[in-house]
Amino acid sequence: MKPTGLWVALLLGAVRLGAQGVVIAPHAVFIDARTRSSAVLLYNPNTEPVEVAVSFFFGYPATDSAGSIIVRTVEHPDSTSLSAAGWIQAFPRRLTVPPLDRQTIRLLASPPPSLPDGEYWARLVISAKGGQLPVTGAADTARVKVGLTLEVRTIIGVFYRKGAVHTGVTLSGLRTAVVGDSLAVRARLTQQGNAAYIGSAHAELVDSTGKTLSQMKAPIGVYYTMEPRYALLIGALAPGRYRLRLDLSTGRDDLAPELVLPSTPVRDSVEVRVP
Amino acid sequence: MKTRWYSLALTVVVATPVFGQRPIAVTGVQSLSFGTLLPGVPTIVVRTDAAQSGQFTIIGPHGTQAQVTFTLPAVLTGPGGATLPLTFGGSDAGYSQSQNIGSQIGFDPKQSFLITFSQQGSGSVFLGGTARPAPTQRAGAYTAIITLNVASFP
Repeated sequence: MKPTGLWVALLLGAVRLGAQGVVIAPHAVFIDARTRSSAVLLYNPNTEPVEVAVSFFFGYPATDSAGSIIVRTVEHPDSTSLSAAGWIQAFPRRLTVPPLDRQTIRLLASPPPSLPDGEYWARLVISAKGGQLPVTGAADTARVKVGLTLEVRTIIGVFYRKGAVHTGVTLSGLRTAVVGDSLAVRARLTQQGNAAYIGSAHAELVDSTGKTLSQMKAPIGVYYTMEPRYALLIGALAPGRYRLRLDLSTGRDDLAPELVLPSTPVRDSVEVRVP
Repeated sequence: MKTRWYSLALTVVVATPVFGQRPIAVTGVQSLSFGTLLPGVPTIVVRTDAAQSGQFTIIGPHGTQAQVTFTLPAVLTGPGGATLPLTFGGSDAGYSQSQNIGSQIGFDPKQSFLITFSQQGSGSVFLGGTARPAPTQRAGAYTAIITLNVASFP
């Protein structure tokens, strides 16, 4: 059975549940300029219909002053931005997904004719709202009754690729600080080429013999410049000198290999002194 | 537990790739519930209250990250445009990678929060809050919408 067929079979076998929301696949959409189209599958595993609205905006992962990864939204992208939000359309934009049923949203790109080669980005917003969930504990004699409706908005990345696309990243300003029982790691990452750098970051703390004391791995998407902060649990580290290694590579488990743009791994290291 | 049951079913779904990639699902499982409100008496629901806290399930590719934000109402709207204040404290939201309501990391629902999907690719978000009816609160039904926004990365 093909993967898609198996997935649908599993969906149809899902139990009836009293909740609201939809399953969305894929979790990132890649559109090739040769076809200019793609599709997003929605499935409603619940017992009630779900109203869905679809929209786009321009935004990309960035970091705040503390190094946390956030989505930076650009309300009014100018003509020089890499926004695809203004020229990708979804059909339909509003729909109702019946219980235990699926619907397909088609995405169609109509880029400007003179669009240079490269990758362009948008964020697809899928808002799902069901009926008001039952309010537990509200007595019939209540003078004041409260009913809160839940709405969920799932935001996924859309990537439009035209012509030759290539990516890379530079790593600079690697630094560390011991914070409690953790080692905080920060570095400045700058995207290269004409496409986002989608990959993974691997940080490793080793002692003077090269033995690994702590490590972490996290997905990373560098669209412009960012300074992410990572934390390695180190516990009570004995005083001495250690080395922190940070590697960036384009391997990703959650994306099909053909969608990930390859790039040469980048690495740096810095000495860590524990007094 | 409803949250776990739901995520179990969705985890099976998520385990299978679609178009070479994996799906994401954000689901409202249980609404934040304040029960009977008495005029002039604030009612607090803590995020660890299994029966009354707001509960959401999030499923995504394991090891990936997503940004969680809430769009929260300041008031509930009732009969004739009457309003009822609703407030949220700095630790009224919680995230549990194991989907255990007793094992949450608290966060401010008015700020963004970065989650990392577990090996099972699932997690739960919980929400508490405080309803503050006025002493002269008009009787009737009051409504509002709570929105959970989940932005998946790459």
